[in-house]
Amino acid sequence: MATEEGLCVTSSLTNLGDIAEYVAGRASAAGLDEERTFEVQMAVDEACTNSIQHAYRGHNTGELRVCCFREGDDFVVEITDFGAPFDPQSIPAPDVTGPLEERSIGGLGVYLMRQLMDSVQFRADPQSGNVVVMRKSTRISAT
Amino acid sequence: MQITTTHLKRCSLIRLEGRFDSNTSPDLQQAIRQVLDAGVFRIVLDMQGVEFFGSAAIRVLVMTYKECRRWNRGDVRLCQVPERIVRVLDLAGISPLVQMFPDCTLAVGSF
Repeated sequence: MATEEGLCVTSSLTNLGDIAEYVAGRASAAGLDEERTFEVQMAVDEACTNSIQHAYRGHNTGELRVCCFREGDDFVVEITDFGAPFDPQSIPAPDVTGPLEERSIGGLGVYLMRQLMDSVQFRADPQSGNVVVMRKSTRISAT
Repeated sequence: MQITTTHLKRCSLIRLEGRFDSNTSPDLQQAIRQVLDAGVFRIVLDMQGVEFFGSAAIRVLVMTYKECRRWNRGDVRLCQVPERIVRVLDLAGISPLVQMFPDCTLAVGSF
C-alpha cells in the first residue's frame, strides 16, 4: 500500500536544501536509518541538480516535483521535471579508478545515484515530463 | 554553509561547515581559487563540520587536487572527514588518492 505526498518547487539550485530536508523527513518516517537516509538525500540532490542544470539548462522558473512514498519494503522517490528530455544513458560513465590528473569531470552525479540507491530508472515523455524513480529498501539487510 | 580560511606558515587551512551541494559548491571553488591565486598550493581542508558533499563539491576537490599537484608544487589534504563523507569519496574513487588525517595538526604537519 502506497501513501503519497509531494513537494513542488521551482527549478532553482537554492531549493536543494529544502528538498534534502523534505526527503530526509520522509525517509526516516518510512523507517530508513540515518545512514541510508543520507544516501537517499545524496541521490535526490544529484537527480534534482541534473533536472535543473540539464533539463532546464539552469533556468530557475521550471517546475520540479519530488514525491516520496513507501511501496512494500521500498522507500521510493519520484522526481519529475518538464524541461528538455534528458537521456542519462548519453552520459558516459565516469572514470573512478585512474589517476585523478587524467579523469574527466562529468558523469559523476548519475554514477553516484546508481551507487547510492538500490534501483534508478529514467523515463521521458512529452506529456509527463522527465521522471526519475529511485528505490531504496527499508530492510537493513539489503544493501 | 561556511568557509573559513586561515593562512599558516606551511599551508592554508580551510575549514568547511554545512552543505556543499551544486548550489553552494561555487562558493567553495571561489574560496579555494583565492588561495591558489595567492600562490599557495599546500592546502588542508578541515571537513569536520561538513554535512553534505555532492558531486559538484567532489569536482571542486578534483580541480584543487590537480591544480595543487601540478609541477609537484603542492597537494590538497583532508582532515577530520566524517565517516559518511568518506564513503562518498570512496564511491567516487577519491579516497585512495587524497591523503586524509584524523586531526588538523597531523594534516598541517604533514607538509
